[in-house]
Amino acid sequence: MTNIHPRDKEIQEYALDRSACSPSLINHIESCTSCQEEVTSYQLLFAELTQGPETAFNFDVIGLVKPLLPVPEPLLSADRFIAGFLVVFISCCICIPLFLFSRNIIQMFSGIPPLFIYSMLGSAVLILLLKILDMYRKFRGQMRQLNYH
Amino acid sequence: MHHITQIKTNDKYLVEQVLRGDNRAFETIIRNTEHLVAQIVGKMVPVIEDRKDLVQDIYLKTFHHLGTFKFQSKLSTWIAQISYNSCLSWLEKKKPLLPGNLHEGEDWPGYSTESQQNQSFTASESESLIFQKEMKSILHEEIKRLPVVYQTLIALFHHESLSYQELTQITGLPEGTVKSHLFRARKMLKENILSKYKKEAL
Repeated sequence: MTNIHPRDKEIQEYALDRSACSPSLINHIESCTSCQEEVTSYQLLFAELTQGPETAFNFDVIGLVKPLLPVPEPLLSADRFIAGFLVVFISCCICIPLFLFSRNIIQMFSGIPPLFIYSMLGSAVLILLLKILDMYRKFRGQMRQLNYH
Repeated sequence: MHHITQIKTNDKYLVEQVLRGDNRAFETIIRNTEHLVAQIVGKMVPVIEDRKDLVQDIYLKTFHHLGTFKFQSKLSTWIAQISYNSCLSWLEKKKPLLPGNLHEGEDWPGYSTESQQNQSFTASESESLIFQKEMKSILHEEIKRLPVVYQTLIALFHHESLSYQELTQITGLPEGTVKSHLFRARKMLKENILSKYKKEAL
C-alpha cells in the first residue's frame, strides 16, 4: 500500500466506477480509513444526485409548439398538378420548335460577329454572378437573424 | 450496443416520418425529449415566460433543421445540443439583467424543485426521514449556487445518465473540460454540504 493519499479526483473516480481504477489505488483506498470516508461521502452525494427531483415543464410543450408547425401539404394538390402541367407545356413549346427548325436557328446566328456574341455572353454571366452574390448576402443575413449558433 | 442501434433506427423512422409531413411523429419526438430539454432549460433559464419562448424556439429550430440531422448521434443528444446553445445565447443576451454570470453561482428567483416546494415537516416523521429531507434540501440549495454550466452538467451526467461523449456533443466542450467541470462541481458540492451540515449540527 502507498502512504500517499490519492487526489480528490481519483477518489471521485473510485466512487463512480471502482473497476476503472488502478490496482494500487484500489489497494490504498481499501486499507485507508480516511480515504474510505471520502469515498462514502461521494457515494452518498452521487446517490442523492441520481435520485434528484424530476424536472418537468409546468406547461404543455406540444400544445405550445404544435400551432406553429407548418401544416403538411397533400401529396397531389391542385397547385402541384398545375405546376406540373406548366412545366410539360413550356418544355414542349421550347423543344418542338428547336427540333423542327434547328438548322434555321443555327443559320440565324451565323452572320453575327463573334465579338458581339462574346460581349452578350459576358454581360449575361456578369448579371448572373451579381444575382448569386446578392442571394448569398441575403441568405447570410437571414441566417444571422435566426441566430442558430 | 443493440439498445443504441434500436434508438437510432427509431430516430431514423421518426425523422423520415416528419420529413414526409407527418406532424404527429414530431409530437412523439417532443414527448421523447421533453424531460431532457427541461433539465437543460430548467437549470439555465430562471424566468418561466422566457422558458416558454425558448422551448418553442428550440423545437422550431429542430423541426426546420431536421433534414440536416446526420444521425451521427442520438436525436435526443442533437436536440439537447440545440437546447444548450439556445440557453447560452439567451444567457448572453440577458447577462446585464441577471445576477452573476455563467461562471458564478446564482440563486434564481422563481425556479424551484419539487423537494424545495415540499419542505413542511411533521413531528411524526422519523429522525432519519428528517435527516434525509434536510440533506436533500441542503443539496438542492447548494446545486443552485453552482454556476449554471456546472448545474447542467451535473443534472445531465448524474440524473440523465449521459456519457462524457454525449456531454461533449451537447456542450461543444472538450472531454477533458467536461470531466474537470464535473470534478470541480462535485468537489464544491461535497465541501459546501459538509461545512453547512457541520455548522447546522453545532
